[in-house]
Amino acid sequence: MTTITATVRPPASAGGRILNIVKLHLTNPWTTIILPWMILGFILIANIAIWAIILGNTAPADRADVEEGLGYSGASTYIFVYMMVVAVQAIAVTFPFALGYGVTRRDYYLGTALTFVALAVMFSVGLTVLAAIEEATGGWGLGGRMFTTFYWGDTWPQRLFIFFAAFMFFFSVGIAAAAIWVRWKANGLIAFFVGLAIIVLGGAALLTVTQGWIAFGTFFAEAGFVGSFAWSLVISAIALVAGFFVLRRATPKS
Amino acid sequence: MTAVIEDKVIEVTGLTKRFGSVTAVDDATFSVERNKIYGLLGRNGAGKTTLMQLLTGQDFATSGSIQVFGQSPVENASVLQRVSFIKESQRYPDDFRAKHVFKSAPWFFSNWDEDFAQQLIADFRLPLNRRIKKMSRGQVSAIGVIVGLASRAPLTFFDEPYLGLDAVARQTFYDRLLADYAEHPRTVVLSTHLIDEVSNLLEHVLVIDEGRIIINEDAESLRGSATNLVGTAAAVDAFVGPREVLHRDAIGGLVSVTVLGLTAGERKDASAAGLELAPVSLQQLIIRRTNTSEKEFEVSA
Amino acid sequence: MDESRPIFVQLAEQIENDIIAGVMAEETQVPSINEFAAFYRINPATALKGVTTLVDEGALYKKRGIGMFVAEGAQARLKTKRRDKFSAEFVTPLLTEAAKLGITAEQLADMIRKAGK
Repeated sequence: MTTITATVRPPASAGGRILNIVKLHLTNPWTTIILPWMILGFILIANIAIWAIILGNTAPADRADVEEGLGYSGASTYIFVYMMVVAVQAIAVTFPFALGYGVTRRDYYLGTALTFVALAVMFSVGLTVLAAIEEATGGWGLGGRMFTTFYWGDTWPQRLFIFFAAFMFFFSVGIAAAAIWVRWKANGLIAFFVGLAIIVLGGAALLTVTQGWIAFGTFFAEAGFVGSFAWSLVISAIALVAGFFVLRRATPKS
Repeated sequence: MTAVIEDKVIEVTGLTKRFGSVTAVDDATFSVERNKIYGLLGRNGAGKTTLMQLLTGQDFATSGSIQVFGQSPVENASVLQRVSFIKESQRYPDDFRAKHVFKSAPWFFSNWDEDFAQQLIADFRLPLNRRIKKMSRGQVSAIGVIVGLASRAPLTFFDEPYLGLDAVARQTFYDRLLADYAEHPRTVVLSTHLIDEVSNLLEHVLVIDEGRIIINEDAESLRGSATNLVGTAAAVDAFVGPREVLHRDAIGGLVSVTVLGLTAGERKDASAAGLELAPVSLQQLIIRRTNTSEKEFEVSA
Repeated sequence: MDESRPIFVQLAEQIENDIIAGVMAEETQVPSINEFAAFYRINPATALKGVTTLVDEGALYKKRGIGMFVAEGAQARLKTKRRDKFSAEFVTPLLTEAAKLGITAEQLADMIRKAGK
């Protein structure tokens, strides 16, 4: 048999392999980058329109009250839940696909986690910038608060940190939930949420019985928003680690 | 570092996989030699896909050992980077278009040949910009086939990836596979239940039935190893005597039996005895032999 | 390629036919293993086996770095070999079939003479 030796590239190193997973998640940037920003923009514009309408219909005497009310917009929370769904979907569909490309579960998980950390950084920076603009324009000229709502912090370093922690929380929970779904499918997910509900309700019951609600509330009040979100990072870390161990034995059942 | 080239790229010993009470792979022991085209044949549900998933580390064995390129393939990047596994049921990310697959595949296969991939895309007339969700089954199969071929992975598995392809496209696949294998030898394992179509491509045949490897032979010696004898019942029975009969059909006064291994001399004798000799295709042979094992199983159960 | 005999045997016979017919002339190059494999749609290892059979018989020989060539005198040698097999392959079945139909040897000879004109 005649053989032709084609030029063969050396196989990718460990870092290269992980980077390949990041590239894989971003192969079609619509879902992970373009669309979320478009939706965020759309929500912002919609909110601005609503504020304009509200303020347009408010008598000057009531204006101050209304403006205070506008400062509690929860519109920005949408992007977090949306990105969590993106994370879940990304893993659910790319996991079997990546295994088909000969990727190990370890490389896949590390690459996926890295991807979403990078996305969290990107989005938090973006939101912090938008918050700065919102402040500079006095609430988009209408006193509206979407990115500078009080629970996002007061200074831009605080905001950056809180946005990042919030993204990491939703991403981590999303990744862990996706890992559970990939491994155990619907039954596993149901069991997970039932278990979670039991823990939450059990915890609430415990707090009620020991009259610990005050201490619970005080803890978070003293920690402040920055502190509370810092604690959420602990949960995020736990979720990420747990997700890894769940995915380690998952198979691409199709 | 000098790489030791393993003569046996796959070595499997006592491999078993159970899903609850179902034994999908039952104590399989075999090896696959370098740079040969193997056929992994068997009926639907015989265990072909499960076996391939075990060999590529996509699923975990219940017991037994697997060595691919001398190591266990499970979670082993240095092994898996040299393996490509194209499944018939491969699902792609929802938002992917065909071009996204061909953009990402080269990252994972260092032997990827872009020119070859482009040629295949033209051969199969694949619409690169269409969403995979909106593609016909044949087109989705073609994507898998192109990735499997263009990856030039030293160990390439095809798990019935061409089922969605029409006969013309399938022949294109076989032709491209053969031509590229000749120019760039590699180990290929092809699983299918369309045996006669691929019969001439195979160098070695593994037949799996209900999880057990029942045939593990060189293709050439398997081909032509059985003969159909047709004649009157008396003549046929007289000639066959105590010989093992794989299959027997009767219509009117005519009887047709399938027997194994007739020598040239015996074939002449059969002719002289007035019997007609007809060839047995690889597909027919395997069907007969898997039915045999099924019958035996029923008897012993 | 039919299913009754090993493929490499059929390939070897096909090449022999071409040599005997003069299609593949002596001292000319024959197609490569890969070309045979692609043309007949068979595994290259099988094609190699068929070609090797002829090399062993002395009908083909290998020029290193170039390819396979038809050996000198191959045509004559193969014709002789075929003649030896002619009786068993063609004459005996002919007689068997004729006997079934009750055709005598003389009638058979007549038929052959008439057909040969």
